[in-house]
Amino acid sequence: MDDLLADFVAETREMLEASGGEIVAWEADPSDKARLDTIFRFVHTVKGNCGFFDFPRLEKLSHAAEDALAECRAGRREPDSALVSAVLAIIDRISEMTDAIEAGEDYAEGGDEALIAALEAGERIEVVGESSNDNAPVDPGACDTEEAAPKPARNTGVQRTIRLPTELLDEVMKGVSDMVLARNDLARRLREAGEQPTIDGPFDRLSTILADVRTSITRMRMQRLEHLFTSLPRLVRDLSTELGKQVMVDFEGGEVELDREMIEMVRDPLTHIIRNAIDHGLEGPGERIKTGKREIGLLKFSARQAGNQITLAISDDGRGINVQRLAEKAVAAGIYSEAEITKMSDRRKQHLIFEPGLSTADAVSSVSGRGVGMDVVRANIERVGGSIDVTTKSGEGTTFHLKLPLTLSIIAALTVGSDGQRYAIPRSYVEEIAFGSSDNVDFAEAGERRLVTFRGKRVPCLSLGEVLGTEANEDVDWEDKTLVLIRLATDDVFAFAVDRVFDHEDVVVKPIAPAIMETGLYGGTTLLDDGKPMMLLDLPSIAQRRGLVNELRSVSRVEEEQVVEDSKAHPVMLFNGLDGRRRAMRLELVRRIDTVARDAIDIEGSRAQVVIDGAIFALIGHEHGALPQDKCRLLRLSDGECEIAYAVREVVDAADMAGEIVPSPADPSIEGVTLIGGKPVPVIDGHALFAGNRAPRRVDRPLSCRLPAGSDWARTILEPLVEAAGYRVTMDDSEEADVAIQLSDAGTGAAPPARNVIRLRGEPEATAGEAGSIYRYDREGLMAALKQARTGSEA
Amino acid sequence: MNELLLMCVIAGRRAAIPAVRVQSVIEISEITPIPGAPPFIRGLTALRSQALTVIDCSVALGFDSRNDISDQRAAVVDVDGHLYALLVDEALDVSEARSDAFDVPGGFGPGWQTAARGLVETDGGPTLIVNVEALVSGPVAHAA
Repeated sequence: MDDLLADFVAETREMLEASGGEIVAWEADPSDKARLDTIFRFVHTVKGNCGFFDFPRLEKLSHAAEDALAECRAGRREPDSALVSAVLAIIDRISEMTDAIEAGEDYAEGGDEALIAALEAGERIEVVGESSNDNAPVDPGACDTEEAAPKPARNTGVQRTIRLPTELLDEVMKGVSDMVLARNDLARRLREAGEQPTIDGPFDRLSTILADVRTSITRMRMQRLEHLFTSLPRLVRDLSTELGKQVMVDFEGGEVELDREMIEMVRDPLTHIIRNAIDHGLEGPGERIKTGKREIGLLKFSARQAGNQITLAISDDGRGINVQRLAEKAVAAGIYSEAEITKMSDRRKQHLIFEPGLSTADAVSSVSGRGVGMDVVRANIERVGGSIDVTTKSGEGTTFHLKLPLTLSIIAALTVGSDGQRYAIPRSYVEEIAFGSSDNVDFAEAGERRLVTFRGKRVPCLSLGEVLGTEANEDVDWEDKTLVLIRLATDDVFAFAVDRVFDHEDVVVKPIAPAIMETGLYGGTTLLDDGKPMMLLDLPSIAQRRGLVNELRSVSRVEEEQVVEDSKAHPVMLFNGLDGRRRAMRLELVRRIDTVARDAIDIEGSRAQVVIDGAIFALIGHEHGALPQDKCRLLRLSDGECEIAYAVREVVDAADMAGEIVPSPADPSIEGVTLIGGKPVPVIDGHALFAGNRAPRRVDRPLSCRLPAGSDWARTILEPLVEAAGYRVTMDDSEEADVAIQLSDAGTGAAPPARNVIRLRGEPEATAGEAGSIYRYDREGLMAALKQARTGSEA
Repeated sequence: MNELLLMCVIAGRRAAIPAVRVQSVIEISEITPIPGAPPFIRGLTALRSQALTVIDCSVALGFDSRNDISDQRAAVVDVDGHLYALLVDEALDVSEARSDAFDVPGGFGPGWQTAARGLVETDGGPTLIVNVEALVSGPVAHAA
């Protein structure tokens, strides 16, 4: 709440500063329409925010000023100097109150009524005089402190922030990205040069610091949309209670990250849209039941990232915009002539809602309906380079689509391969991944169009190679491809055949040159870890070019919602183990599916490992049966920190585990048995799996341990032991090591700095001067000492 | 003050890129091709943490490409906030223009005519000054 309040104060003050000039200009020429509009928007916004924060006095003041200004806007009243002074007095009061709110003080009571009364037409001169008179005596305290100690008093107790130009942040961000690449380059060279303890230590530290800095810089700019979403339910609740309506809110895509600046820009327009939706869009419960809808209205927010754009859709299932009335109003307000209106298409008419001074509401409520709002919304969105669109269907609801540019944004992407190159697909579109060779996938042809039947749905199928023009459709070996099921923001689904699916990655998207943009295939570019560029595919555009997008699609929202409610089931991946038995693995654990050659697997006794992409993973699942002759399919499982590979004969399908799991104490490797498709399937216990096979945690900043210099025994026998215990071995005397190991026969001398010292003696029996030392071949004793040093130092 | 020019060879001819536009001259080692892009765009290459669009100047002028790109040089320029690497046959040195740019009766040939700002005299002989904007928009611009 404090954050929100600080936002409110900062915003109000910013607007005050911005409108300062406007106010003066308006005073000089009260009939200036443009100035009037600006000031009107200011008080309107303040009023809206106050309603949200529950500042009744501020709200009353701004509401009164808004009323008076609305009269002027509608031409029912001529703005004169008295009105201007009265409005200015109110704006001053708002500013003072804002300061008081920020400082956490209560603003002195009283005086508001006089200010409000001053707005009344007719009693001008007299009341204005009175108001300025009584302004001073009523709250002398507030005014005095303002003048005596204006700035310092203000900032106490408030989170300290500074505002920076975003270009500066961009520059810093770029610098850090460069540093990361330089680090990677250096790391590669260091690896090639072999182990150099004196350099490796500082280098590791540098890497850790760099990673931290990078995260903070990124966080400086980005915010998850969730931040915005979390403030909405409360707003919706308050508004709906006030208006006697029941509204349910549904969010989707809160994980989409957006520039912090952009989020701030969107907040107001969004608030306006919500007000309108609840006030005008959604019907009261009685009316809803009469029209056969659920009595609770649904307000749905969904965000998607598409290349260089974020699409934010706000839909309600209310009565829709009355286009006819909108058109009549436009004629009545003299914006368009009757003839112009009749020529307009329906869509054009719907867009009339963005015209200034238009509203379909007959009654003016405190919530909305003054015809301010949508024009302001559009102005604000367009100012940040976005666009707004509306679709409405009478009786079914209204959807606003906000498209926002993404100046700098990190998106979760799936990297796929085609023709030896990698491409990125925004993960928000990816619904599912399937193998073309899987039994559940059937291909069909309809004319030139490839269709794929998957999970009972028949969807069109595109091949990435064909889309990019590197592979002709006839040559595509569909069975050999991996299918990525794509669901666009418009709910159109298609399958995308790629050569290989690589990995999930968070990528920073950068814009691309116009000439490449023109191809309509790409939405941006990003750099891979090795510094090579990778293109981000623009799926909506590709789908549109292939005619896969159905522009007007009537999806029953109620139905959709039911699905959401039902899907509380846990998704699992079904596979056949090497023994041919079917098992299930919780889908969250499966990071990806790999296929490796048989010789990448190394099994010796109870130890089994597999090499994937140059890294060694623990292998399990091989105990169930013999490995296949040439290629072996693996599930790569991750608990978020370490990964292990599970050998399977084949991956069957993903399924939902809805029923309960019956525990089976006889087999500790499974959570239990559940019914999937009427058959019992054992569900593998991920906890037990990782507990038994997890590699020791790689500590980000390993503790350092200094070994005695010049001892062959220490280097050849002690060092591997110490490293296995999770320490970083150092020989550098100048560094303060976390632990130092000393040999008691080496003589003490001037010991270099260390936080803990372990002394080793040469003989099993301790002699007199060797108390507290450990015999050099007492492995358990040494391990215990190292462990103790570590836990002691971490605590 | 005479204009400083980066002297280079494009499609076998002496040409010059205004030196103020050139951020650096790099050697291109690896290009990530972009399927579906017009042929004068060779692909992307990375310069530090930035992706450069690699323009094959020969193709942009309507000539055939020199296909081997091994250690071919490119001039890095910024056009409308996008970075481009202009791939040239050879990058020579920076020198001063000895005259203002002027036209030659009869033009320089269709490709050069649109992509060149004019002819200047330099120490190395007459040289065409290349218009960077025209190069990065490719041969499409003068095909019509």
